[in-house]
Amino acid sequence: MRQRTFALSLLLIWLVFPSLPAAPQVARVAAAANLNFALSEIAERFAKDRGSRIELVFGSSATLTRQIRDGAPFELFLAADEEFPSQLAAAGLTRGAGVIYASGRLVLFAPTGSPLTVDERLTGLSRLVKERKVTRFAIANPALAPYGKAAEAVLRKHGLWDAIRPQLVMGDTITQAAQFATTGNAVGGLVAYSLVLGPGVAERGKYVVIPEADHPPLQQRMVLLKRAGDVASQFYAYIQAEAARAILRKHGYGVPQ
Amino acid sequence: MDWSALGVSLWLGAGTLVVLVPWGIWFGRLLAFRHFRGKLLVEALVTVPLVLPPTVLGFYLLVTFGARSPLGQAFQSIAGHSLPFSFAGLLLASALANVPFVVQPIQRGFEAIPRDVRDAAACCGLTPWQRFVRIEVPLAWPSILTAAILTFAHTLGEFGVVLMVGGNLPGETRTLSVAIYDRMQAFDDRSAGIMAATLLVIAVATLMVTTTLSRRVSRARA
Amino acid sequence: MPDRRLSVVLRQAAPIPLDVEFSCEPGQVMAIFGPSGSGKTTILRAIAGLYRPEQAQVRSGGESWTDTSAGVFLPPHARTVGLVFQEYALFPHLSALGNVMTALGHRPRAERRHRAESLLRLVHLTKRMSSRPHELSGGERQRVALARALAREPAVLLLDEPFAAVDKAVRRRLQDEIDSLRRTLEIPLILVTHDFDDAVRLATHVLVVEHGRGVASGPMSVLTSRPDVAFLREAVGLGSVFDAVVTRVDAERGLAALSFGGGELFVPARAGMAGASVRVRIPAREVILAVGPPQGLSLHNVLVGSISAIQVEPTSDLVIVRIQVGDEFLLSEVTRDAVARLQLAVHQRVCALVKSVSIEVQQTSRA
Repeated sequence: MRQRTFALSLLLIWLVFPSLPAAPQVARVAAAANLNFALSEIAERFAKDRGSRIELVFGSSATLTRQIRDGAPFELFLAADEEFPSQLAAAGLTRGAGVIYASGRLVLFAPTGSPLTVDERLTGLSRLVKERKVTRFAIANPALAPYGKAAEAVLRKHGLWDAIRPQLVMGDTITQAAQFATTGNAVGGLVAYSLVLGPGVAERGKYVVIPEADHPPLQQRMVLLKRAGDVASQFYAYIQAEAARAILRKHGYGVPQ
Repeated sequence: MDWSALGVSLWLGAGTLVVLVPWGIWFGRLLAFRHFRGKLLVEALVTVPLVLPPTVLGFYLLVTFGARSPLGQAFQSIAGHSLPFSFAGLLLASALANVPFVVQPIQRGFEAIPRDVRDAAACCGLTPWQRFVRIEVPLAWPSILTAAILTFAHTLGEFGVVLMVGGNLPGETRTLSVAIYDRMQAFDDRSAGIMAATLLVIAVATLMVTTTLSRRVSRARA
Repeated sequence: MPDRRLSVVLRQAAPIPLDVEFSCEPGQVMAIFGPSGSGKTTILRAIAGLYRPEQAQVRSGGESWTDTSAGVFLPPHARTVGLVFQEYALFPHLSALGNVMTALGHRPRAERRHRAESLLRLVHLTKRMSSRPHELSGGERQRVALARALAREPAVLLLDEPFAAVDKAVRRRLQDEIDSLRRTLEIPLILVTHDFDDAVRLATHVLVVEHGRGVASGPMSVLTSRPDVAFLREAVGLGSVFDAVVTRVDAERGLAALSFGGGELFVPARAGMAGASVRVRIPAREVILAVGPPQGLSLHNVLVGSISAIQVEPTSDLVIVRIQVGDEFLLSEVTRDAVARLQLAVHQRVCALVKSVSIEVQQTSRA
């Protein structure tokens, strides 16, 4: 009797446990968090068109860069700026310098019910700050995410940085910042345009696109890494082709000519 | 529901058990029965992962075994991949983080065996190995079981170390707890909610199994 | 029949001081007797191989179990010792039968159960063989411990305070059992105790231990009449102990006659005494001395002997007089004044007078 129970348990274990965790036969792509919706759609399209699967891992550009330097097995890296890819190139981890694949925009977002009124010149925000009515304001961590760095530039330009600094809540990634900004945990935030255009996010409040002149351009560069396989190289080319560019435009990015 | 993430979590739990429990039995017994200089220090070291923030462990593992370190490069040339950002690296991190959960209950279990009973076993003609298998392990069994289940449950809940050392690679190092975080970031609360509920159910079920098992064992033992 | 003589030499300064040397022949019962903390249990553990003193020699017959000078130390599982622990140390996860079977590893598998059952029958534990230790009473647990020790077919049987945790009635029965066992076993039996009555009941020889040192050893009857052993005196109350046989029982007069190495004694008769072997203890306080046979006394016991020693107590006014009566010795505790009055001196012939009711008699076997 005891042997039967033992055999049964073994069978159960074998059924429940899928195959041993191992490196899969697909391309692993690291992407800045702002590409959360856009790149997922592009990868789906790629899978349909070419039949190969892409595994996407989103994170802040700084964290992904660090992981790649520590040996993370990515084959393609889409950053939110040009600085991080060039660091990797300088360390000899890339195949060349890569290309700029898109340029991003910031928006000022205020969730429904927030006292913040949104406008391009940030007058609503300035007023709230002066009235000390800002509970929390969300941006991405400038040290980790280029979109956070851009947000800091915008706030400094409008002379709000020092005053609003104590109330800032900084997301590790731009998506985390967007979570804070759109779920009512803050009066609002400076987040990526592409995220606000994602499904179900825009309805959560009001937003306005920040003029490009107010921050250093968010030129987003991607690089193939040394270990990139065929599928990754194909995907690299695919992103620069028309089908993908249309998707990027749809998600609020500018695309290079 | 990310099935591959569930699989990774379960494999990590099982793998940690396979790696730690036999060693824990040997080491817990050693701490229980032997007295040596520096024993206090050893016991303190065993407890360290309990009080250390997981990020500290993650940091040291990355620094020691990352691609930029000599050890990491040596590993890479042998195994073909880096130790962090692989399941093997995760297993190492998990094993280190769970040392106190394994060693301490087992040590208490062996300590609870009266000295006279072990001596009596020797006087009955049992060799040290026979004493271990027929007297010590059966008497310490409830603690061994508790240690295993505690470790498994704790592994399922690991997050900080997993994220730092594993890097959220789907199918390889993306455990269920990390997948929840990942889905939340991606504005996919629905998936996150399903997985969170699953983890909760597994945790409760695991603990219920422990309690029943240990009650049954101690009744048979008493 | 292999020579099973046990010889023990233990010497150590620290951490536990030891200085003993003794031997025990098969069939003898050696009581190791001393105050708590005197190292008695350590001696047993050293014999069993559970303790390794600095200098030690333990031999069982021709086998050297411990010999520090030659670097020999047999681990306990390689020695055929039977040790009954003070708290019995039964295996809690096994039944009584399982406990005994554990010690039968030297026997073929098919035999073990049967042998275990007969050993448990031997110690009168037939009905509770499948019970766990926690379901057994103290006395039953001790029987299981005894059966388990015997299962090993030991060359020496060691008992550590076997009666300490048991009440008086059970103690009597257990002592009887151990006593009958020793007659059949033909191995040395070492018994550690701090209760002298146990020693008196069972032992043929005594080793008195104080702070790990053996201060006196020898046959029971000799040792108990040695007034110089302070611990014996304090713990025990001075007296002489020897064996006797009940030769006649006069039911009418209510008296039994005991024959011993010094002549005949009369004691009040008890049921079942006829023909029994007994152990007799006569407290020194109950022995009166007379320089000549007295007349007209109610006493039954007047023994003639000669004084072999007179020891004056330094702290009190009492004197211990040792009288040789036939092959045995009697002790008498008298005042200094009495010694002076009677002008008692060594070699003097005296009469020792003992009331029959003052004599302590313990039956050691049924007729």
